[in-house]
Amino acid sequence: MSREFKVGLFIVCTTIAVLLALLYLSSEKGFFANVYTFTLSSKSGDGFTDGMPVVFSGFKIGQVSELELNEKGLVLIKIKIPQRHMKWIKADSTFILYRPLIGAARIVVTTNNLDSAPMPPRKIADVEIVNDINDLIKIVQPLIEKITQIAENLERISKKVDKMADKTDEQLYGKEGTLPQVNKILKNIINKLEKLDTTVDNINKISKDTSEGTKDFRMLRSDIDDAVNAMDKVVIKLDELISSKKNPEFEVP
Amino acid sequence: MRNCLAVAMLLFIYACGGSQSIPQWKDTAARQLENYKINFLADKEDATEPHFAKAKNAISSNNDLQLLATVYLTKYALHTAVLEDFDDSDFIRIDKLEPNAANRAYYDLLKGNISQIDETKLKPTYRKLLQLMKDKNLSAAVREIASIDDPLSRLISCGIWVKYMPYDENILRLAIDTAARDGWRRPLWAYLNKLQKYYLDRQETAKAENIKERLDLLKK
Repeated sequence: MSREFKVGLFIVCTTIAVLLALLYLSSEKGFFANVYTFTLSSKSGDGFTDGMPVVFSGFKIGQVSELELNEKGLVLIKIKIPQRHMKWIKADSTFILYRPLIGAARIVVTTNNLDSAPMPPRKIADVEIVNDINDLIKIVQPLIEKITQIAENLERISKKVDKMADKTDEQLYGKEGTLPQVNKILKNIINKLEKLDTTVDNINKISKDTSEGTKDFRMLRSDIDDAVNAMDKVVIKLDELISSKKNPEFEVP
Repeated sequence: MRNCLAVAMLLFIYACGGSQSIPQWKDTAARQLENYKINFLADKEDATEPHFAKAKNAISSNNDLQLLATVYLTKYALHTAVLEDFDDSDFIRIDKLEPNAANRAYYDLLKGNISQIDETKLKPTYRKLLQLMKDKNLSAAVREIASIDDPLSRLISCGIWVKYMPYDENILRLAIDTAARDGWRRPLWAYLNKLQKYYLDRQETAKAENIKERLDLLKK
């Protein structure tokens, strides 16, 4: 066998091996599979992009191939689904554009009955939009208000404590004096605030799962509510102890 | 004697411990209304309305329309003090449902309806002012307003006079001094603007320019 023949055989074998590998990879990646196109519609194109993944149960089953505006001003979103994932797209499937606080936006397909008829190719399904960012803002805004309330309450408490300077030593330091009781109350506040601190730390979980994070915010809100109410009670109690507050009268200035 | 002393001491101790707790709605309403006044006069626009809304909500929980009317009248009085108009629809609705002569008299004073006011129902602070408005006696009014102890009532009086009666430099300066003493920016700027307009109307351009310059510097 001549050297030329051996080299030629090697090149042919290598080329065949490379081609087979490419063919295998292409078929695995669905290059030769039939791809079906469905059209979805939305009132707004906000959040949609070419190449955006279409997911079912967290797995990517397709992607957005084209976006266009129709005559009625609706945004038409064309999605491509390979043959092997067609079983997930049924006539009763719902499509949701999910824009998480953290991570890329995606179209989530939900099919309640996998035995139902396949989705007709000409059907144009609506896409609902779930927007974690807007939802979060709605939740966080009242939180900020509550935190301001806490700051206000702390200011009020410090004013009350200032007023204790008017009291005599006996009234302040005696066994039943104001200071030991105030001390007890302040310890109570610290406990409440420590609890709040832990909850705030828990917000770090948001980065792991947005919807779980939203739950955390709701928890935080209830904890802040508790802290505000507790501090309101503390201020009233301090008022009673210091006895400096008069019953407010409402009259026009 | 010793027994008397012991009884007196016991009474004193009892009096010290007898403080009643204030209902939360009342405490919140009073605090929020006070914060509303402070923020309004300090021209903290963002903080003003939330405090008013909270005060109103707290008062509403007590089902007392007269107290609610007081809150609205306080708001109208503050607007009058800074020479602004106000939307009185809420008070009118309350007044229709549950009329109150004292509130109506105060409202009429703020609206400048002096002929309709029953003087006896008006807050004592403003009774003399009402008479002077009827007499159109500006110089006596300036003296009367200057003698009012409460600076906010003084400003409200100035506002009522300037809005509905012929005014002069003295009453504007009195309002400016009152606002400046307490650091109330909103009325301060309102009366400085009014004084500038007053000078411009009288062709005293140098004085008007001076006030404009002062306003520019203060607002910077």
